[in-house]
Amino acid sequence: MKPSIYEDSRDVFLDTVNAKDYVQLDRVSNIYQSLKDSIAKPLKMVLLYGKPGTGKSMFLSKLYQTLLSSQKVCLYKTPILDESEFFKTLAQDLYSMTYSGELNFTQFMKIVENQNINEDVMPLIMLDEAQLYSSSLMEKIRLLSDTRKVKFLIALHKTEKEDLIAKEHFQTRIWESIRLENASAYELKIYIQKKLMKANCIDTASMFSQKSITLIHKLTDGNYRDTNKLIYTLFDIYVYYINNKPNKIKGNEISPSIIEMSAIHTGLINA
Amino acid sequence: MLNVNELEIRHKKYKRKLYTPYFKISMLIVAVVALISVFYYNYYSGIKPEVNKQAVKQPLIVEKNEVKPLKIKTEENNTTDKKINSEVVIAQKGEQKIEPKEESTIKQKRVILSPSLDFMHNIKSENLAYYRDEKSSEPKKRQKKELVKKKHKVVKKIEKRKKAAITADKKSSINIQRKDDEKDIKDVIKRFKTNHNPALSLFVAKKYYKLGVYDKAYNYALLTNEINNNIEASWIIFSQSLVKMNKKDKAIKTLKEYIAYSNSSRAKQLLDEILSGKFK
Repeated sequence: MKPSIYEDSRDVFLDTVNAKDYVQLDRVSNIYQSLKDSIAKPLKMVLLYGKPGTGKSMFLSKLYQTLLSSQKVCLYKTPILDESEFFKTLAQDLYSMTYSGELNFTQFMKIVENQNINEDVMPLIMLDEAQLYSSSLMEKIRLLSDTRKVKFLIALHKTEKEDLIAKEHFQTRIWESIRLENASAYELKIYIQKKLMKANCIDTASMFSQKSITLIHKLTDGNYRDTNKLIYTLFDIYVYYINNKPNKIKGNEISPSIIEMSAIHTGLINA
Repeated sequence: MLNVNELEIRHKKYKRKLYTPYFKISMLIVAVVALISVFYYNYYSGIKPEVNKQAVKQPLIVEKNEVKPLKIKTEENNTTDKKINSEVVIAQKGEQKIEPKEESTIKQKRVILSPSLDFMHNIKSENLAYYRDEKSSEPKKRQKKELVKKKHKVVKKIEKRKKAAITADKKSSINIQRKDDEKDIKDVIKRFKTNHNPALSLFVAKKYYKLGVYDKAYNYALLTNEINNNIEASWIIFSQSLVKMNKKDKAIKTLKEYIAYSNSSRAKQLLDEILSGKFK
C-alpha cells in the first residue's frame, strides 16, 4: 500500500466542521429530518443539545447549507459575547443595517419590531456553543424570539448548567428540543467507512474489521470527535511505519496495538 | 510530528500494566490449585501409607506381644537376681531358714525364665529376622538348647552365691544383729527424748525386754506408764521385767492393781501364769 493512501486517510479525519464532510447515518438522518421539520414549524426556538463531539456543530453547518438557499439563515459558530456587537451583527446580517456606534437591546428591538416579515419565512439565527452566552443576553434572546420576527436555533452542551439554562429561560418558549447522542459501534463503523470511501480511501476503509471497530468504540464511546482524533493519529502512525518500519504493518486489518497507541497519544488511554 | 518510538514504549508499559492483574490473578489461581492438589495428594497418599503401615504394623504388634512377656520374664530374671542377692545378704545376717524357700522360689522362677538377657541381645541385633526365623523349627530348637544351657549357668551361679552366703553366715555372729538393735533403740530413744511419745518408750521397753536388758525394759515401761497409764502392753512389759528381775511379788502386786483398775484379761492371764509358775 502506498504511503499516500494512509496520508489521505489520515486527512479525512481532521477535526474540522465542514458540511461537505457530513456523513449521512440512519439515526442522524432521522434527527436531521426532524430538526428540519422543527425549523419549518412556527416555533420561537429550537434547542439542539448533546455531549461535546456528538455532531451538533456539524448538524448546524449542514442545516445552514441546506436552508441557505430557501430562507434567511445566520449561523454563529462562535458566540458573540458583547451585547452591542451581538445586536449590531444581527442587524447587519438580518436586515443589512450597519451601525458604527453602540446598538443596545432597546434599539435593536425597535428595528426588529418595525420589520414586516412573513411568519413562514422567518429568519433563522443559529447559535452554536450557546452555553457561553450570558444569562442576561439569553434573556434578551428570549425576548427577541417573543416578537415572532426572528427564530432561534440554539445548540449547547448537555450539562447540568445547560439544562438549567434550557429550563429557566426557554422552558415555555422552546417548542422543540432535539438531543444528539454518541454513535453505536455499528454507526461508528458506517461513519468511518463512509468517511473514507467519500475520500476514495477504499483500501483503508476495508481495513476496519468489526474487532477493530469494537475496540475503537470502546475507547471513544462512540464520540465522533474522539473517533476522528483517534483515527487521524492511527493513520499518522501508519504513515510513519510505512516510511520507516514497513515490517510493523502486518495483515490487511488495522492493528489493535496501533489503535491502542493512538489512544495513548490522544489521551483516551492513560498510560 | 508523532514520536512513535516513545509511543511504542508507552504502549508496552500500558500492556504490562494491563496484564499485571490478570497475571497476578492467574498466578494466584495456579497457586491455589497447586495447594489444593498438593493437599489432596497428601490427603489421599497419606491414607494409603497409613493402611500399609497398619498392614506392616500388625505383624509387628503380634511380635511385640510375643516379646513383651519375654521382657517381663527377663525383668523377672533380673528381679530374681536382685532378690537372690538381697536374700543372700540377709542370709549373711544369719537367717538360715530362708534358704530352702529361696531355692524353691528360684526353682519356680527358673521355670518362668525362658529367654535371658542374651536373648534380648539377639532381639536387638537380629530384630525382625529373629521372628521370621522363629517360624522355622530348627532355630527354635537351637534357641531352646541355648536357653537351657543359659538356665543351667544361671542356676549354677545362684547356687555358688548361696554356698558363699552360707559359709559367710556361719562365720557371722549374733552381735551384729544386736548392735543393730541397740543402734535402732538409741535412735528411738533420741526420738522419744524429743517428743515423749509413749509409743516410742513402749517400743524401747519391748526391745530391751527382748534383748534381755530387763532393768532398762522396766525403766521404759515405767516411763510409758507415767505418760499414759492406760497402755496394757506397757503394764505387761513392766510386770514381766519385774519377774525377770526376781521381783515377782512386786510384779503380782502391780498386776493386781492394774487388773482392779482396768480388768485386763491379758494382765489376768499373765498374773495366773506368774502365780502358777509358768512365767519365770
